[in-house]
Amino acid sequence: MRKREFYALVAPSLLVMFGFLVLPLYRTVEWSLERVNYGEAGTFVGLANYQQALSDPRFGRAVLFTVGLTLAVTAVLVVGGYLLAVAVNGLGRWRPVVLGVLLVSYVVPQLVGATMFSWLFDENFGGVFNHLVSTLTGQEVLWYTDPWPNRLLIGLDLIWHLVPFSMLVLLAGLQGVSEEVIESAKIDGATTLQRHWHVIVPSLRGVLGFVSLISIMDVLRTFDALVPLSPQAPQIGNESIMLYIFNVAFRDGGQQLGVGSAINVLMILIIVVLLFPFIRNIAKEARSA
Amino acid sequence: MTATTTLMETDLVQPETPSEPRARRRPLTGLVIGLLLLVVCVLMLSPVLWTAASVTKPTDVAFLNPPVFTYRPTFDAFVDLWQTTNFYKYLANTFVVAIISTILALVIGLPAAYALSRFPSWISVVLLILALVFRALPRFAVVLPMYDISRALGVYDTTYAVAVALVAINQPFSIWLLRNFFAEIPAQLDEAAMLDGCSRFQVLRRIMVPLMGPGIITAGIFVFLFAFQEYLTALILTDVNARTVPVFIATQLGQTLPMLQQAGAAAMLLTLPVFAFAFIAQRYLVAGLNAGSVKG
Repeated sequence: MRKREFYALVAPSLLVMFGFLVLPLYRTVEWSLERVNYGEAGTFVGLANYQQALSDPRFGRAVLFTVGLTLAVTAVLVVGGYLLAVAVNGLGRWRPVVLGVLLVSYVVPQLVGATMFSWLFDENFGGVFNHLVSTLTGQEVLWYTDPWPNRLLIGLDLIWHLVPFSMLVLLAGLQGVSEEVIESAKIDGATTLQRHWHVIVPSLRGVLGFVSLISIMDVLRTFDALVPLSPQAPQIGNESIMLYIFNVAFRDGGQQLGVGSAINVLMILIIVVLLFPFIRNIAKEARSA
Repeated sequence: MTATTTLMETDLVQPETPSEPRARRRPLTGLVIGLLLLVVCVLMLSPVLWTAASVTKPTDVAFLNPPVFTYRPTFDAFVDLWQTTNFYKYLANTFVVAIISTILALVIGLPAAYALSRFPSWISVVLLILALVFRALPRFAVVLPMYDISRALGVYDTTYAVAVALVAINQPFSIWLLRNFFAEIPAQLDEAAMLDGCSRFQVLRRIMVPLMGPGIITAGIFVFLFAFQEYLTALILTDVNARTVPVFIATQLGQTLPMLQQAGAAAMLLTLPVFAFAFIAQRYLVAGLNAGSVKG
């Protein structure tokens, strides 16, 4: 392919991404150095916004909460997705039905799904799970005002929403594992567990990496689910970074657009660091190709 | 006569004997796995089922605690939703945004992905890495400025502004996915077609697009889903006219009980078409992902 053809083909996409991603991003960086309101010109304040963000204990809690949530949920998504994929892969006639059912929580918008999920636990909405838990344990769990039960609720909802995707990708990956290798491991007397651990999991390494990457990116930006599931998030320390930015930059009168932008920039830096291993992989692969 | 029957009987019996131990163990583990999957399926559907029950209850028993399980179903919440709110408009907005942005994303993304899969140079690598970083970008970093810009340009609160914003936001993902599909198609095919006198653009249109069927469907489904589900971008770029269903449902929360029930009805009306969609899409998604996206 000639260079001119390459640029002609890539141009529309680059234009869209430049206009709608790079330009706004530039504005965000600019704002992060200003004291500014919506629709007005800001005044340059240097790194004051960063200083303010970093010294706010609420921001520290948001980072801790978001990172903890990301690690816990991603671990469950990878393991749970794998187990589900293996189980579904062994199905015959029922496979399309089971897959269809399992995909429902993924295709419903996250905010809508979380709203429905919240009603299972909301005593104001006659929540069945809530009722079941209190009858079984004899204790009233405060799903919305107690920090840890609320965290569990948020984690469960994210797993509910995201596990179909990791299952789907791993299922697709499982179909690419060569039958002969599994068959020969079976002949060599490997048990089911050994077959999974020594043969199938290693050959799915790329797919597992891809699933973890997508999960990390998706859980780090948790926002939608918290709207119905954690109305008191800031008070009980369950504010995600995204929700914190929203509250600071949008809800509180837009006064702190600069601080919100500064946190956005910090967040981008964290993400680039997290993505670094994947970036290196792509570069290496491209050089060898 | 007797000889043939005994022969047939032994024929029928013989293959069963060696497979018997395996056949005895298999159904049991199969049964356990099947039961576990059934439990998982019920749990996965439980929020939807509970919502369906809650919105078909009369308002006075819908919110009782402990919950009521026997009731006379009513569709009042749906009727109220339709009559007292602009729900049909929000539903239409949601689909318009999703359809416009899917078409645009594919029209723009296909040539770019094709080029990236056929031009091995540092530019391609840099662009792909940038796309990965953009995919992970905190949404607010681009959406908050978009709010400002769209107000300044006078396109705030229009469906097409939301649609175009989502094309840009989802472009990195669609390009990556499509590029992996293109990479599966051997480049010799392009060369052969070009020897026969096709231009690059003709190769893309006449040879690649037909071959990319599963890839285009898979990418299309994902891009459609992302646009259909988007809450945050729609929340910030819309006010009343271009409001989508997720934004509408969020505004109903924390209101009076009848409004909450209307929100539930709205959720059900949005979920039902999606239910059908999930059953149709699963086949293409597994096949599509298998063919393309997850080779890395």
